[in-house]
Amino acid sequence: MALKINCGGRLLILLSFYSLSLCSQNFSVRGRAIDERTNLPISGVAVSPEGTSILVLSDSDGAFVLNEIPEGEHILEFTKNSFFSKRLPVLVQAELDIGNVYLEPDLVSVQQQTAIINLSDHDLDEESGGFSNISGLLQSSRDVFLNAAAFDFSSSFFRPRGYDSEYSEVMINGISMNKFFSGRPLWSNWGGLNDVQRNQEFSNGLTPSEVSFGKLAGTTNIIMRASQNSPGGKVSIAVANRSYTGRLMGSYHTGLNAKGWAFSFSAARRFAEESYVQGSTYESNSFFASVEKRLNPDHSLNFTGFFTPVKRGKSSPNTREVFDLKGNKYNSYWGYQNGEIRNSRIQRVEEPVLMLNHYWNISPGTNLNTGISYQFGRVGNSRIDYGGSRLFFNSQGEDIFIGGGTNPDPAYYQKLPSYFLRSEDRLDYRSAYLAQQDFLKNGQLNWEELYAANLNQAQNGGNSLYVLYEDINDDQLVSFNTLLRKELNARWVLNSGLNFRSLKSENFAQVESLLGGTAFLDVDSFSEGSKAQNDLLNPNRLVGEGDKFKYHYDLLAKDLGSFVQFQYFGKKWEFYTAVEGSYLIYQRNGFYQNGNFPDTSLGKSEEPDFLSYSLKGGLNYKLSGRHIFSANLGYFRKPPTLRNSFSNARQNNKVVKDLTQEKIEIADLGYVYRSPKLKGRITAFYAEFKDVTELSFYFADGLSGSGRDSTTAFVQEVMTGIEKRHIGIEFGWEFQVTTTLKVKTAGSFGEYVYNRNPSIYLTSDDFTEDREMGRASLKNYRVPGGPQHVAQIGLEYRDPEYWWIGVSGNYFSHAFLDIAPLLRTSNFLTDNDGLPINDYDLETAKRLLKQEKFDDYFLVNMVGGKSWRIKDKYLGFFASINNLLEVSYITGGYEQSRNVNYSLLKEDKERDHPLFGNKYWFGPGTTYYAHVYFRF
Amino acid sequence: MFILDFRIMKTYYLCLLTFLIVGCGADDDFELPEGTGGANKNPVPNTDLQAVLGTYYQNPEDIITFENDQIFEAYVVSSDEAGNFYKELVIQDKAEDPLAGIVIKLNMASYFQFFNFGRKLIINAKGLSIGEMNGVATLGVQNGKRIENIPAPVIGDHLFRTSEVAEIVPLSLEALQFTDRYENLYVQLSDVQFSEFLVNPEDPFTYASEDTDEFDGERRVESCKGDFPFILSTSTYADFKGFKLPSGNGSLKGILTRDFYDEFYTIYLNSPADIDFSINERCKQDHLDCGLSEEEGSKVLFWEDFSSQTNNKPIKGNGWKLIVEEGSKEWEAFTASGGNASLGKSARMRPAGSGDRKTQSWLITPSINFDSNSGEVLSFKTSTSFANGSMLEVLISTDWDGSEENFGLATWKILSSAYIAQNSDFFGDWISSGNIDLSCVEGKGYIGFKYTGSDSPYYNGIYELDDIVLTAN
Repeated sequence: MALKINCGGRLLILLSFYSLSLCSQNFSVRGRAIDERTNLPISGVAVSPEGTSILVLSDSDGAFVLNEIPEGEHILEFTKNSFFSKRLPVLVQAELDIGNVYLEPDLVSVQQQTAIINLSDHDLDEESGGFSNISGLLQSSRDVFLNAAAFDFSSSFFRPRGYDSEYSEVMINGISMNKFFSGRPLWSNWGGLNDVQRNQEFSNGLTPSEVSFGKLAGTTNIIMRASQNSPGGKVSIAVANRSYTGRLMGSYHTGLNAKGWAFSFSAARRFAEESYVQGSTYESNSFFASVEKRLNPDHSLNFTGFFTPVKRGKSSPNTREVFDLKGNKYNSYWGYQNGEIRNSRIQRVEEPVLMLNHYWNISPGTNLNTGISYQFGRVGNSRIDYGGSRLFFNSQGEDIFIGGGTNPDPAYYQKLPSYFLRSEDRLDYRSAYLAQQDFLKNGQLNWEELYAANLNQAQNGGNSLYVLYEDINDDQLVSFNTLLRKELNARWVLNSGLNFRSLKSENFAQVESLLGGTAFLDVDSFSEGSKAQNDLLNPNRLVGEGDKFKYHYDLLAKDLGSFVQFQYFGKKWEFYTAVEGSYLIYQRNGFYQNGNFPDTSLGKSEEPDFLSYSLKGGLNYKLSGRHIFSANLGYFRKPPTLRNSFSNARQNNKVVKDLTQEKIEIADLGYVYRSPKLKGRITAFYAEFKDVTELSFYFADGLSGSGRDSTTAFVQEVMTGIEKRHIGIEFGWEFQVTTTLKVKTAGSFGEYVYNRNPSIYLTSDDFTEDREMGRASLKNYRVPGGPQHVAQIGLEYRDPEYWWIGVSGNYFSHAFLDIAPLLRTSNFLTDNDGLPINDYDLETAKRLLKQEKFDDYFLVNMVGGKSWRIKDKYLGFFASINNLLEVSYITGGYEQSRNVNYSLLKEDKERDHPLFGNKYWFGPGTTYYAHVYFRF
Repeated sequence: MFILDFRIMKTYYLCLLTFLIVGCGADDDFELPEGTGGANKNPVPNTDLQAVLGTYYQNPEDIITFENDQIFEAYVVSSDEAGNFYKELVIQDKAEDPLAGIVIKLNMASYFQFFNFGRKLIINAKGLSIGEMNGVATLGVQNGKRIENIPAPVIGDHLFRTSEVAEIVPLSLEALQFTDRYENLYVQLSDVQFSEFLVNPEDPFTYASEDTDEFDGERRVESCKGDFPFILSTSTYADFKGFKLPSGNGSLKGILTRDFYDEFYTIYLNSPADIDFSINERCKQDHLDCGLSEEEGSKVLFWEDFSSQTNNKPIKGNGWKLIVEEGSKEWEAFTASGGNASLGKSARMRPAGSGDRKTQSWLITPSINFDSNSGEVLSFKTSTSFANGSMLEVLISTDWDGSEENFGLATWKILSSAYIAQNSDFFGDWISSGNIDLSCVEGKGYIGFKYTGSDSPYYNGIYELDDIVLTAN
């Protein structure tokens, strides 16, 4: 039905159901965006006539020019982060200068912006859960639901639509920041740089992004471009008791000067000796610099570099028994050393990013943005190894490793009261009582004991029994990206991009501290003979501080991708369609010859590669200015992440068997209502994930299949063919009661379930074969991670005198425990001789395997702020209080895969306090965050 | 304008830089913890281990709990580093010439990291209990009739480290001296080797990873100097359980204790380094073995059923010679009835009551001419009563002239195919030796029954002998 009409020398592609006044005269519209409060120009305001593809950004003087605007009535839409959007009707009959357009700053948005990232980046990077998916929500204050999700739901690990953050994409200046390894963005990489993250473009869900094909949970592009920051400076001081206790932050931007230069700087320091959770040390410095040179009106070159080293002490998930004794602030990872908190599990992220971007306005309506970035540096996660040993050999040339310390974890199950009451016929109440008292009184890591033990060994010629080491990834990532945006005409926009990324990730363990000892023997003291050797090329090696040990290998990944997207903007209809194709290849290269895998550990692995494509499309139908209907549809093929591609990368080159791409079918339907008083939306969503691969590692007890003597092993569990179905609705509405008072409500009711029984196989250095465990009966179990039902009701008062206050009540339910799949395989009912377990009772089994649903809870949050104008400078204050009623709740947890058969699990669950009970993350009590800032 | 901007920035960044640097300075490079391994605030001893052990010896069957401070010094002599001890710490009162030792049961794995070998400790037994566990004096906490592990949280209330790590001089001992008073001491035995069948080069035994090993691998160690053999025990959890037993001979150091069931004395090593069998040449006891014969011969060369002997008197007549190599006891005749009956009148050796430090007593047949006969076959019956560590062997000498003066010059060979009643055999049974073929013996020979024991409780076992028949074709 397409009709080609040649008009004024330009080729237009039209759809016949829409009539456009063709061949009429076009004019330009110019004007200037001005901050209503400061009377200063605003740069980077997006100006677009509604129902057209035309979009321009205001320059550093706030000036904009819209060319080729057809004669007639138009509504110009002005949008800029931290300002209220403005819709301005204009009548175009000639060249038009509409003069100053005043935009009202959105104080709430401004103030929250500075706060939000800090509330959550700690949770965002928690490697255990991948709970977070608030990417992009940072800039979401226009959508009531996303606003609630970002500010009020996120602390409960709520994930919009239940999607893991690997399904969302974060880009900086158009370059993807998601990691090859996990697929997730690492928020610490730009933590603390709030002041330079204010310019963001967020595409929710499948909706089109200008910089990427996008991922299904949404795409955020943070624009860190010197010229895009309004001139001026800002300093702020924050206090909190969440992930950190204090923050100092400052930034300064020059804006584009007459010679075409713009500079932007920001720095921050965030710190905590201990934040809400005990021993959760935090130390982060952030540096940012950006320089832009406008070479001529059509070419700009921008350099951006940032470095945000962060070190934070992690906190432990705890069993119910531990929680009952120590409460929700307890953390078993730390202890005092010389009166100072020392956390054994420190995460260190030091990965600077350097990028160069070229912005080229080829012609009006046609831009080519090209970027190249280099990210390098290190992520380290520390922990204690307590298996130190020394080599002993006899005159016959036989050798063994003797020694080994004891598990220093103060919450180790053998140190808890339950351990002494584990057998019904020998209840040791005295020891249980003493263990309880000791745990209550001490219950922290005893560093002095570790030093004493090591010193003692050193004096007697032995090696360290305990060593603090780091698991390190040294990554080098080169990314290249070029993006074309072309307004084909007043209705159609073409976006297209080509990107290439190449990663070299060096992985190894490194001794951080010998803890008073002289050396550490690099063997696996739980194995014997040559199997104990971590590197047969250097057997029985003694290592010291700074030495690599345990494992050492490179992971290599290369990705080449391209996308094409068409967007159509009309008065009634808007639609888009996009297609993406990519080629991805992985490889492992081992540097150690592992004693357990002498033939498969050294050198290069095979190279799993994936040719994939994704398609999406969607439309908006504007019934009237008030009613808008939308629909989006997508089909994604997603290659497995690097993490899930090698079954035991630390020890060998084995690629996961039958490694295949995920297939995702996704759709949503929405309705948006907009009136001066009431606005909001409701969306129904659906997604089906197929062929998902997941890898996990744990110590299992009760394995069948290898006889009575080897029922325990440290295993890698490879689960393939996982299917999940996410279905639900989400909504957000706000009602302007008066000009100052607003009532809002938001919520999401989802059902995220496993849809099929995936296959499991285990690998281990305790057995040679890949052990097929058959299918795990996961169907209809809930997908874990965050509440599947949330709802909010809130009030917000905004005083004309530039202060505001909000309060919200938030209800959370349907959060589920992360279950252990191995318990749902036939192994569960199989005795170690391969025959069915004798006393197996179906009803009991059902009870044992029932997925725990966490209790519902209700949190009240308060937030508010004020801003003062002092001449042409501003002083502002912002504070938020979460969980005002000090409600105790569980945010997440997992089933330990320790007792993997019926008999063992039953025995353990029948205890008052199971030895290997579920581990939980407990929500914090009342927490606060407050900052003051000064803008000049 | 531009310059002005930078001036503002400069002051501001100076500020910022200052706090960043100050902040960075507070980095977490941790110093060694202060005051580790120091002997600070240790309690002052008010008694010694011997006295504490004395309390136990007064009533070995009872468990006694100390209600007052009982503070004494002790030295660690066991080590769990190689996994041969588990939650049992052995201490003795002195680094040299110890007089008392005891086991402390404590809920601490890898105690070697703090209570290492030779470490001098101050121990306060207040609140702890002493009693017998597995046959040896044990300190711990009472639970009913058992002494159990000191719970981990209170170990620090009872065991205090000093900075002294002493060189422990092992107490040189012979197996024949094994008694309760040497239990839980670090001892050394010299000129010993593992029994030959354990170190067969074709298939040597491991310390404790044979299929038959449960809990402990028990390996027989014998003396090159006529001392008693004893058992070396190794836990099947020991790291060195899979090491092959060394074949040579030399000395061995370890903890003297009782086996789990309190049936015999045994030694546990701290590590295989405590065995120094560097003399490769094994010491050899000569054997003579012509196998067993299907049946006895028709001609009786020598015969004895002791029926003509006098009860409780030394054996005499019928050509018997009695040689007492060590100690004072001789083979004697006896009669008994009931569950442990003799065979009419029988011969026996029992050193109990002799006061002998060591008893080595022979009963020797008259000279037999093996040249003038053929197809000689020996048989006899033996029985034991609580043999424990005592031994009976049957030997032959073809170069002895029969005189007591030259006894020490004679060569005696063990008749290794003869079965002699073992400690594990039922005490009431008389067990036949089998038909021992002596057809390969040449010349004239004496057959001797050699008892080895002592008057100490474990070694004063009784061996009984009867129905000795030597036939030929």
